[in-house]
Amino acid sequence: MLTFEKRESTPLRVRILVPAGSVALGLAVGAVVMLFSRVNPLRVYAAIVKGAVGSWYALSETIAIATPLILIAAGLALVFRMKFMNIGAMGQYIIGALCGSWFALFGPSMPTWAMLSVMMIAGTAGGAAWAIIPAWLKVKWDVNEVITTLLMNYIADFILKFLIFGTWRDPFSHGFPLSKMFGSSAQLPRLFAPPSRVHLGLVFALLAAVVIWVIIRKTRFGYEGSVIGENERAARYAGISVMRNVTIAAAVSGGLAGLAGVSHVSGYARLVQQNFGSGWGYTSIIVAWLSNLNPLVAVVISFFLACIEAGGYQVQIAMRVPFGIVNVIESSILFSLLACEVLTGYRVRRVRRQSP
Amino acid sequence: MSGSPSAISIIVTLLVTAVQSGTVLLLPTVGEIFTERSGILNLGIEGMMLIGAFFGFVTAYRSGNPYAGLLAGAVAGACAAMLHAFVCITLRGNQTVSGLALSIFGAGLTGFYGDRFISQRLPRSIPSLEIPGLSRIPVIGPIFFDQDIVVYASYVLVAGLWFVLYRTRPGVHLRAVGENAKAADAMGVNVSATRYFWTCVGGALAGLGGAYMTCRVNPFWLQGITSGQGWIAVALVVFAMWNPLTALGGSYLFGSIMALQFQLQAAGVSINANLLAMLPYVVTFVVIVVATLIVRVRHLGTPHELGRPYVREEK
Repeated sequence: MLTFEKRESTPLRVRILVPAGSVALGLAVGAVVMLFSRVNPLRVYAAIVKGAVGSWYALSETIAIATPLILIAAGLALVFRMKFMNIGAMGQYIIGALCGSWFALFGPSMPTWAMLSVMMIAGTAGGAAWAIIPAWLKVKWDVNEVITTLLMNYIADFILKFLIFGTWRDPFSHGFPLSKMFGSSAQLPRLFAPPSRVHLGLVFALLAAVVIWVIIRKTRFGYEGSVIGENERAARYAGISVMRNVTIAAAVSGGLAGLAGVSHVSGYARLVQQNFGSGWGYTSIIVAWLSNLNPLVAVVISFFLACIEAGGYQVQIAMRVPFGIVNVIESSILFSLLACEVLTGYRVRRVRRQSP
Repeated sequence: MSGSPSAISIIVTLLVTAVQSGTVLLLPTVGEIFTERSGILNLGIEGMMLIGAFFGFVTAYRSGNPYAGLLAGAVAGACAAMLHAFVCITLRGNQTVSGLALSIFGAGLTGFYGDRFISQRLPRSIPSLEIPGLSRIPVIGPIFFDQDIVVYASYVLVAGLWFVLYRTRPGVHLRAVGENAKAADAMGVNVSATRYFWTCVGGALAGLGGAYMTCRVNPFWLQGITSGQGWIAVALVVFAMWNPLTALGGSYLFGSIMALQFQLQAAGVSINANLLAMLPYVVTFVVIVVATLIVRVRHLGTPHELGRPYVREEK
């Protein structure tokens, strides 16, 4: 029989070993799943590594995927600390991208700096607005935010489809669900020489990670957020406005997801398409949890999961291994982490059941 | 007068589909009601439904027997739920995140194995089975009694589970564990075993709902074929206020919306298909807000221990 003893403090060794062990366990589960399908997991993992960091181009594609993950995970670190489970990053990402892209596709012509500023602000505002709705319903009426944010993901995805199969579709796209290419004033600058598609969003992402880290660690707002997460009732007694804090945090989180969406659209593909990585909204949740809600650690974890994503695309093309394996690996890592987390809070011992 | 019979027959056709679409939602919803009643929140319904839908489909496809598909779907769903139960009950993991992980896992696993089955059709799906006599009743007969074995089983299931919940000893234990685990423990109820059992039942029903979808309603395989219906079921639990009988009404209501959407699309109504497809999610969104308000005002429903791990040693 297992017994659990509460730890006074968690040794650093455990805090590093638990996520590392979870990753190893997740990869092992992925390998077992592949074996059942008679796919050689070692070859797949080798191909994933090669597809993710095997060349400068591969590495730069990986960094381009890590960019939105870092942005979204930074915001999630803030809201998850308040126990507001925003699962709606996918929807906020889509809505942010759509709000910004409207200016690129249909807005008045403006100089580059003005156009890009307007797009980024519109994207951030759109994402924030999409997140404020469930936050407000949660703090005001205690409506379950997991359900509302999830439903809003589906709604946002249908709005995207409605536009991209409708009025936003480029008449010369031969029926493909693609918008027109953004004008040069609406293209977020790329940081390196082509073919790299790493864009200015990476700078936004790294800045956001630092700023959110400072907010969490060094400000009153961050401290109040932790109190709300630990014990909401105590926070209320201490005179902390739960409503204000949660709404602001949700807006920041949604805003960063929106910024991730619009910067990716404007810097990476430079047009709107049916799928521009909105599934990363879910990947970011795994990033946030693996990094223990620390935005700086999340930068490293984002890069790691971006490797799996980027490698997964390559493996799908080159070896015809379905992309689903990426979701299997990622969710198995998350499961393992949840299972192993008990070790950070408790010392687990095996004891023989004693007869009374 | 000449137009009215055809109008009725259109509505009857619509409602026949509505009951089938409703049953896809009903099974997972009822399962989740019992899981949540024991204090375990399982947000993995979407994943368990997909797993049930896929393994049900493959079993029916390979064996040619759709009933074997149903069984396989239920077993697969139960296995997936055990993963959640182990993480949340034994290891006290975060239930929200674990459920989410299960949903992503289900999408990934079925996406990986399902790749080679895309657009394959079942050779034989579950046939209709008319109940003699009852199916002759005008309007009600064709809607409720000219269905298939799963629909009939779901009537019995809902009534039976309602009876178990409110009229039997295991039901009392279940409610005790969900309302006050410490008191239940003191009464001598095994809290962990109760939670394991009902989480497993919830998973089996979610898997069955998924398998019913691929073995009857849409007898083919597509990636992500459940398309978010698992999340609608999670919302329906709140709408039903954790009561299996109310869940029946709620599921059929949503089944009607789904059926209406398909019928309008088939009839070529000039509403954009993507907007139509959005409809169930928008309605669910409104419903979850309204239902939460009602639950708040009337102080009923939510099991008190929902989402809290039970730890005996502490305090």
